[in-house]
Amino acid sequence: MTTSPLTTRRPVSALKRYWPQYLAISPFYILFLVFGLFPIVFSLYISLHDWDGIGTMKWVGLAQFQYLLVDPRFWNAVSNTFIIWFMSTIPMLFFALVIAVLLHQNIRSKGFYRVAYFMPNVTSMVAMALVFGSVFSDTFGIVNSALKSLSLDTVPWLTSDWGIKTTIAVMVIWRFTGYNAIIFLAGLQAISSDVYDAAKMDGAGTARIFAQVTIPMLRPVILFTVITSTIGGLSLFTEPQVLLGNTGGPNESGMTIVLYQYNQAFTQFDFGYGSAIGWALFVIAALFAAINWRLVSERTGTKKWGRTK
Amino acid sequence: MLNDESGNPMDDLSRRRFMSVTMAVAGLAATGALVGCSRTESISTDPNLLTLWYWNRSISEKLLDSARRSITGTPRRLRTDLIGGDFDVKLRTSLAGRAYVPDITGLNSNVALYFPSEDQFVDMNELGAQEHKADYLPWKWQFGVTPTDRMCFWPMDTGPTAQFYRTDLFAAASLPRDPDEVAATTDTWPAWLEAGKKLKRNSGVSLLANASIVYSQIVNASAERYFSPAGRALFQDPGGTIRRAWDVAVAAAQAGITAKVLTPAEQNSAWVSGKVASHIEAVWWGPILKSTAPNSSGKWAVAHQPGAPGNSGGSFLAIPKSCKDPKAAFDFITWLTSPEAQIQTYEDVQLFPSAPKAFESPQLSSPDKFFGGQDVLGVFQESAKEVPITFISPYDSQVSEGVLKELTNVETQGKDPDRAWADAMNQGIRQLEKRGLMK
Repeated sequence: MTTSPLTTRRPVSALKRYWPQYLAISPFYILFLVFGLFPIVFSLYISLHDWDGIGTMKWVGLAQFQYLLVDPRFWNAVSNTFIIWFMSTIPMLFFALVIAVLLHQNIRSKGFYRVAYFMPNVTSMVAMALVFGSVFSDTFGIVNSALKSLSLDTVPWLTSDWGIKTTIAVMVIWRFTGYNAIIFLAGLQAISSDVYDAAKMDGAGTARIFAQVTIPMLRPVILFTVITSTIGGLSLFTEPQVLLGNTGGPNESGMTIVLYQYNQAFTQFDFGYGSAIGWALFVIAALFAAINWRLVSERTGTKKWGRTK
Repeated sequence: MLNDESGNPMDDLSRRRFMSVTMAVAGLAATGALVGCSRTESISTDPNLLTLWYWNRSISEKLLDSARRSITGTPRRLRTDLIGGDFDVKLRTSLAGRAYVPDITGLNSNVALYFPSEDQFVDMNELGAQEHKADYLPWKWQFGVTPTDRMCFWPMDTGPTAQFYRTDLFAAASLPRDPDEVAATTDTWPAWLEAGKKLKRNSGVSLLANASIVYSQIVNASAERYFSPAGRALFQDPGGTIRRAWDVAVAAAQAGITAKVLTPAEQNSAWVSGKVASHIEAVWWGPILKSTAPNSSGKWAVAHQPGAPGNSGGSFLAIPKSCKDPKAAFDFITWLTSPEAQIQTYEDVQLFPSAPKAFESPQLSSPDKFFGGQDVLGVFQESAKEVPITFISPYDSQVSEGVLKELTNVETQGKDPDRAWADAMNQGIRQLEKRGLMK
C-alpha cells in the first residue's frame, strides 16, 4: 500500500506513527475479514469434507473434486452456462450499441428513453421471471398464442433444450441491454466532436464514421461491457431458478453452475460438494479474468508503445 | 498516505487519547459479546421465556397468543419468532453454530433430513411421549421417530391425499361425476389410466398436469420407499415401489393423459382454464384451489384416489437439546397439538389434524359450497385412517431427484423409458456413493 522509502525502511515506526489512519480504514478490512475472507477460506476447508450442515464433518480429501471432474451434471451445467452466456451477450451488446447510437442523436424526449431503457435493470428479477414464465408458457403463453395465430408451429419454450436456453437468454438480454446502452452512451459522449468533424471533412459517410471512428474509440468501453457481462453470465442464477425451480427444468437444460451449486448445497444439503463447485467456478472465472486481462493489457500496451515512439 | 510528517494533525494529544479510549471500549464490547455467545446457545437469557421458531400459517395465531401470555400449566411464557425465507437453512445454521438456537422449533415434512443429526434434539420419550401416542395417527407418529427409535419430531398437521376433479368435465366426457362412482371407476391405476384415455378421447382434456404427480403420489401412498429403516437400498428392486410408481407414471405420460405442464404458474392456468380435469394432492390443496380458481366454484369434487391414499406434507415440532426447559416445551407441544387445539388450528389456518379425535368436530365435516356441497373433509378423514406406516430416509431425495428428472425427460422429450430409468438409477447411485452411503 505505502511505497514511500520512509515507510519501507522503518515499518514498525510507520505503524506507530500512522495508527489513527490505519484505525480509520480498519472497519472495511475487519468486515472483509469476517464476512469476506473467512467464508472464502472456510469454503475451501468445507470442500475437503463431507458435511450436511449440522453433523460432524468427515474429511474426504480431494474426493469432491475427483467426483466433480467426472460428474456429467456439473459439465452439463458448465456447457449450459456458456451457451446461455454466448446466446445472450452477443445480441445484448449489439442492441445496446444500436440503442446508444440512436440515443446519442438529436432526438426528442431523450431523457424519457434513457429512463425507459434502464427500467428493466432495476425491476425485481423474481417478478420478471414470473412474467416471462407466463409469456413463454408452452400451452398458455402469449408467444405461442401469437405463433398459433400466424399459423406457425408453437415452440415448447419451457420444456425443450433450446427453448429453455432461449427463454433465459431473452430474459438476460431484456434486463441488461438498457444498462449496457447507458454505458455505451457515456462512452459515445466522451468522444470529442472534433474527431467526427475531421472525419466528415475527409468525406467519410455515416457507416464509415461508425466503423472506423466510433467503434475504435469505444473499444475500452466495449471491453468493459464484455467483462461485466462475463461476470454476470458466469454467475447466472436467479433467472433459471425462478423460471424453472431448483432443478433447472426438463433435462436440466437451464441448470447453470451457480444453480447447481445452490441445488447441491441448499436443497441436497451437500455442503462439501457445493463448495467444491464454488471453487471450480472460481477457477473458470480466473481463467476468463486472465484472458480478459491479456486482451486489455495488449491493447493499452501497444497504444503506449506507439505513443512513446 | 497523504499526511506528511511535520504537519500531522493526528499528533494532537487529546485526539489520540480519544481514539485509544474508543479502541478499548470497542475491544471490551467485542470480548463481552464473545463471552455472551459461549455461555448460552439459546436465543433469550430470560429463564421464563421459551422461544419458538415457526413459519407463516403453520400454527394458529390465536393459540400462540395464549402461549405468549403463559404456557398452560407452567410458569413459562413463549416468545414466537416468525421465520421468513429459507427456514431449514436458518435452523441448520444456528444448530451448527450452537448459537441463537430456539427452545422449540417447527419443522416441515422433510424431518427425515434431520435424522443424521438426531442427537441435536430431545427424545420426547423421556418426557412421557408414549402416554400420548394413542391420540395421534400411527403413521404420522412414526414419521417423527428416528431410525434409532427416538421420538424427536412431534406430529403437528397432516396431508392425507385424494383426487380432486372437475365434475362438469368428467360428465362431458361421459365419465361418472359422483365421488363414489368416480372412486369405483378409478379404483386401480390401470382403471384410472383407462378413464384418462376416455377423457382425452371424448373431450380433449388431460386428466393430470404431469406424470411426476402420479409418481410422487404413488410413493406417498406406499409402505416402502427408497430405503428400509435399516438402511438397505430398495429403489432398484424391479418389483419395488419406486419401479412400480415409475411404470404407472411412464404409462400415463405415454398414453398422453398428462398435460405436460410443469411450472406452478402454468399448472394454475391449466386448472383455471379447464385443460386439466383433476389433481391428486393432499387436503391442503383445497384452499389453494379455492383462491386460484374461484370462478370454478361448485364444479369440483373429491374422490378417493386409485390404489391407496397417501400423505403429502404436514409438519412437526421439535425441542433442540439446548432448550432451557424441555419439560415446559413438551407441555406446550402437547397442549398445542391436543385434539381441541387442532380443531382451533383448522379453523384459523386450515391445517388438517393429526389427532383423529379432532375429526369428530362439526367444523371438520361440513358441506363445502365450492365442492358442490360435498363433505370433502369426510373423504380426507377416511384417507387419513388408511395411510400406511412408511419410512422416509434422509437420502430419499438423493435418488428421487434423478428419477423425477428422467421422468420429465420421458414425458416432455420422448426419451426412451428404459434408458431414462437406467440413467436415473445411475445418478442416484453415483450420488449415494459419493456420500459414502452405498458401496
